Amino acid sequence: MIAARALTRSFGPRTVVRDVTFEVARSEIVALLGPNGAGKTTTMRMLAGLIAPTSGSVTIDGVALTPASGGTLRGRIGFLTETPGLWDRLTVRENLQIYASIYRLEGARRVIDASLDLFELTDHASARAAELSKGMRQKAALARALLHRPTILLLDEPMSGLDPEITRSVRRLLDERRSAGCSILVSTHNLDEAERMADRVALLHERLIAIDRPAALRQRLHTGHVTVRLATAASAYLHVARQFDPGAESEGGTLVVHVRDGERDTPVIVSALAAAGAPIVEVRHETPALEDVYLHLIGDAPQ
Amino acid sequence: MTRLRALVAKELLDLRRNRGALLPVAIVTLMSLALPFTVTIAIPAMTGSPLGDDSDLVRVSAVAGVHDRLTPTGRVQLFLFQQFLMMFLLIPITGAMALAAHSVVGEKQARTLEPLLATPIATWELLISKVLGALLPTLAIAVAGLVLYFAGLVVFAEPGVAAAMATGRTAILIAFVGPVAALVSLQAAIVISSRVNDPRTAQQFGVLIIIPLSALLVAQFTGAIWLSTPALAFIGLGLVGVWILLTVFSVALFDRETILTRWK
Repeated sequence: MIAARALTRSFGPRTVVRDVTFEVARSEIVALLGPNGAGKTTTMRMLAGLIAPTSGSVTIDGVALTPASGGTLRGRIGFLTETPGLWDRLTVRENLQIYASIYRLEGARRVIDASLDLFELTDHASARAAELSKGMRQKAALARALLHRPTILLLDEPMSGLDPEITRSVRRLLDERRSAGCSILVSTHNLDEAERMADRVALLHERLIAIDRPAALRQRLHTGHVTVRLATAASAYLHVARQFDPGAESEGGTLVVHVRDGERDTPVIVSALAAAGAPIVEVRHETPALEDVYLHLIGDAPQ
Repeated sequence: MTRLRALVAKELLDLRRNRGALLPVAIVTLMSLALPFTVTIAIPAMTGSPLGDDSDLVRVSAVAGVHDRLTPTGRVQLFLFQQFLMMFLLIPITGAMALAAHSVVGEKQARTLEPLLATPIATWELLISKVLGALLPTLAIAVAGLVLYFAGLVVFAEPGVAAAMATGRTAILIAFVGPVAALVSLQAAIVISSRVNDPRTAQQFGVLIIIPLSALLVAQFTGAIWLSTPALAFIGLGLVGVWILLTVFSVALFDRETILTRWK
């Protein structure tokens, strides 16, 4: 488990991260979302022990991350940096071999072979890193970050440059690591990706704006709507819908009613329409996209 | 030691794929070989004026010691070849500028340093690997140059000159002062490299390293000073002290945080 407590980091007069507190539990994936310059990379670096917080603390499996404990604790962390950071003149295999030695892996050759196989890099193992495509480089960097089977994974934009097929296999791999008990923090700009893979989403904009399950975050926006399709002209039942939403609209056989809490309001609206004799064919409750929630919460965040 | 070995292996592997980086070292080595033989053997042979005919040179060469069994030309050759031997100290220093100055800042620019710093490696392991990664190939080139130098002495110099060169002074210069001077310059270059943002700045600062050694060379050539065997041993020991200080200094100065956050 990795925990940040009141993390603050300033560079001169500028505070980049302010009073950020959150935890990533064992067997959990948390996605860290935020606009450029929100402090995601700085937060990641503090959690990896690369830079010290101005105030606050980081603990890994209950042990405080300090300059003294940093060396040992970094052995438990797999860190994927924003750029792949491969040694260009070395081959993919050589890049992994050096890191295997740094982590003092036993049976390094076997581990590297398995890793190359997992990331479908076996055919490119003898290629120099400079010769690889962007996606291949990202895969090699991911293979490097996971080589020593870390219990804490800090991944900065892991899906960047990956094609959909590889993205899916990486997602599957992260699922496996989660099932194996890893605590995984993923920084991403891709809201859809965050929603697909993360148990919780943390919105960061200098401060931690929110951290919750994607569904719970959506509920905070209170802007869902219920679409009711009828077997007849919907305008005949618009007066019923407007009891719940004065802005309700009809078009052809469809009624659109805005609701604050879809879970609570939808059954009530459907009951009222049914009681009024509306021939209901289909009811659909549509929640706001995570993107809407993100823009709303980030937009409201104090600067 | 596993980590240190791995990092040194990486440095050597990287250099093997980028042999052009060793070109300046190779050029200095060739110059260090060509210049003494041109001045001491080729020019006198072409002009028909043996070095032993120059009374000033014969007088100055006496500082190299009494060598009764050598001809006057042989004594001057011995003196000059001993002076030129100092040029071999320049080889690893050139290596320092060409390789070490680029090492840390080069990794910074290539963005390969951050993943490395996120591993359990210690700062001293990283810095020593950078030093060894630059020292080993440049020393190898210097040793190859020295072998050719002595082979040239045997072939081209007056009889007895090569044997007269094989002294404790020469051994101290080659096996002790040279490598330690290289270590000092490499360590200084690493300090510079981890404090600047740009390889060009590192190399410009690296040039400063050559100044004290150049002063020593000029002083020797003009006869202003003659570094005796004890003097050389004393200089070597002093350099060991400087290297230890520089190593401690470079570990203390290596601020991971500043290096990472100063990246642009």
